[in-house]
Formats: sequence, C-alpha cells, structure tokens
Amino acid sequence: MVDVGTTLEMVQASQAGMSAVGAGLAVGLTGVGTGLAEMGIGAAAVGATAENRDMFGLALLFTVIPETIVIFGLVVALLLLF
Amino acid sequence: MAGISSGSAQYIYACTRLRVRRSLLIPREDYLRMLNMSLPEITRFIGETNYRSEIDELGTSFSGIDLVEEALSWNLAKEYQSILELVPGELKYFTASYLRRWDIQNVVTILRGKLQGMRPGKIKEVLIPAGRLNKVALDRLLAEESPERVAEALKGERFYPILERELPRAIETGSFAHLENELYKGYYARLLADATGGIKGGDIFRKYIELEIDTRNIQNLFRLQAGRVHEDVRELMIPGGSFSVEELQRLSTVEDRDEFIDALKRQVRMTPLLNTLESIRGKSAIHEIEVALTRVQLEQMERMSKRYPFSILPILVYLEEKKYEVANLRALARGKEVGLPGERLQGYLVM
Repeated sequence: MVDVGTTLEMVQASQAGMSAVGAGLAVGLTGVGTGLAEMGIGAAAVGATAENRDMFGLALLFTVIPETIVIFGLVVALLLLF
Repeated sequence: MAGISSGSAQYIYACTRLRVRRSLLIPREDYLRMLNMSLPEITRFIGETNYRSEIDELGTSFSGIDLVEEALSWNLAKEYQSILELVPGELKYFTASYLRRWDIQNVVTILRGKLQGMRPGKIKEVLIPAGRLNKVALDRLLAEESPERVAEALKGERFYPILERELPRAIETGSFAHLENELYKGYYARLLADATGGIKGGDIFRKYIELEIDTRNIQNLFRLQAGRVHEDVRELMIPGGSFSVEELQRLSTVEDRDEFIDALKRQVRMTPLLNTLESIRGKSAIHEIEVALTRVQLEQMERMSKRYPFSILPILVYLEEKKYEVANLRALARGKEVGLPGERLQGYLVM
C-alpha cells in the first residue's frame, strides 16, 4: 500500500525487495518439495541397491529425477532477479 | 503430511529390500528344469543360487541328501534372522510374532526326539533356528535330559502354560499330536492378540492372519474329508478366521466331496478362492488340493501386499514364499533321493 508520502525510489526498492523474497520462496519451497519427493525414492533406491548392486545406476537416476522441481524453482528465481 | 515422517522412509526401505529378495527366489522354470535333474545336479544347481555359502560351508561335513537338507535349513534360519534385523519398529514386532511358529516346531521336535531317546546331535540336524529361540537357546534345551526338563527350561515363554498343561498327557499317550494342535492354536490366538493390540498396522496384519487361519481350516477340512473322519472336529479347527468353529463343524459333516465344495462356496466371498474351489472339484489327490489352496493363499497375500505396499504384508509374502521355496527344494531333493519320477514330484511343489 503506497501512501502519499512515498517517493518513487522507495516504490522501486520495495519492488526489488519483493521479487527477492519471491525468488527465495521459489528456491526454498521447491527445495522442500524435492526433498519430500526424494525421501521415498531414496529409501527405496538404497533398499534395492543393498540387495542388488546392479541397481545402483538406475536407482541413482530415479532418485535425482525430483531435482527437476528445484531446478524449475531456481529458473523462476533467476528470472525474477535478473 | 501425516504419512510423511522418517518412519515411512524406513518402511519403504525394508519393503523394497524384501521385494527385491522375492524377485530373486527360484522361478517356476527352474523348478521344472530341476525336475529332470539328479540329486548331485540339484545340489550343484542350488549351490549356484542363494544357497552357495551354505553348500560351500557344509560341503565338507555332509554329503548327498543331508547336505541339501542342512543347507536349506541353515539358509532359511539365516535369512529369517537377517530380516528380523533389517525391518524397523512395528514391523519387527509383527515379524517376530510371526516367526514364533518356528519356536513351536523346534520345541516339539526336541520333545519328540527326547521322548524317543535320540542323540542331541541327531535332533539338532533337523532344527531350524529361525524363531526367537536361537541356536544357543536350542542347544541349552538339547542338553536337558527329559521332555519334562525341556518344558521346565521354557518357563517364561509365551506358550509355556499350554506346554505345561498338555505335556503329561502327551508323554502318557506317546503322541504329541494334540499338544502340537494346542500349541499352534495358542500361536494363532496370540498372533490375533498382537494384531489387535493397538499397534499401528495391526489391522493389516490381522487380514493376513485371518487368511492364513481360513486356508489352514479349509485344508484341514479337506484332509479330514479325505480321511473319512466324521467325529467332532471342533478341537482340530483354529478359531479366529472368517468361519466360526461351529460353521466348520457343520461343514465337516457333509460327506460327499462335491456337496462339501458347494457348501464351502456358499460361505466364501473371495473370488480367487471360489475359482480354486471350482477347479479342485475334479482332483482327488489331497496333496494337489493342498497345493492349490496354498497357491491361492499366496496369490491373495500378494494382491493384498500391492494394496498396502509399505506394511507388514510384503515382508510376510517374502517369508511365506521363502518357506515354500525351501519346502519345494526339500521335496525335490527327497523325491529324487528315493527315485520318484519328475511328474509325480511336480504335484507336490508350490510354484
């Protein structure tokens, strides 16, 4: 809410601040999402690899698939900042 | 978010491990191949699978059928103990409770051996230390002199009260059948009590127990029917399944096999079991009926384990299938030893 006494510089500064907060939220929340998604996959991957070593490559690949979510977050954050 | 906790990751880990292990069990094609092999070939074949370390280890002290038997028992015990170590929290409680079945089997074997004056070393060869009583505890029991002393040494075990009550009669009559029945009935009652004790996941465990009790009861009814036993069967039935003991008693009075199957079908709601009951109508050999019923139980457990993928069920599926794998290999080896033809043996395998 811009009140009468605010100058143009103050508005610009507040906009920059807000987009920084948005960028932070984008990376932070997607990071949490990725972590939750990887929890189950990681547990299963470790279980499968413990029983059968040949699974390692595939298990690792499946585990990092949710990383895409945090990469999307990072892209959005970078778009916001630059 | 309720389901998301560090607990669920452990469940996923344990259940995945057991699913992978299950996929490494001996497939049907290999059994069919083994049916055409001789005993040394079978020994070599299983020596190349999961049983390698046992076959290698025991190869110097045993040979022939004894080697296969010992290796299978050792492997089963080792496998079950390792599973008990890797499953987390509540699953461990249920698994341990399921594995007590082996304690009963071992104790009854020891009692029988003691009553017949067998050497402890000879009895030890047929024990499978897969339950709560480990090798050391079983050795202690083996060192006791008489069945009464063995029972006394088991004071504090869950099944001690039943043992104490039934043992004098068993020794007097020289038959442990009644004692064994009572012990297993006690075991199932205790399983049900564990499942309904309010521990998380108990309701899923209970589904398995009911299925198991039903299958046992139906198998027993078929056996009694085949043996033309028409006395009161109430004592032989396990309470706690979806049939009441009274219903089972009524079913046991039906004399004709076809009528019996019809009567049973009216009570059953599970479609796969209905189909199996229909398909066993033409079979006369009791072992074929038992194998068909066991098969349908395993399939039903597998279906249930898909519905609850991270529960006690995938673990139980593996434990049961492993048990039947060992039983199959034992039947194969024993059958080959006495020279039974492959086609005959095939009817006894659960695959």
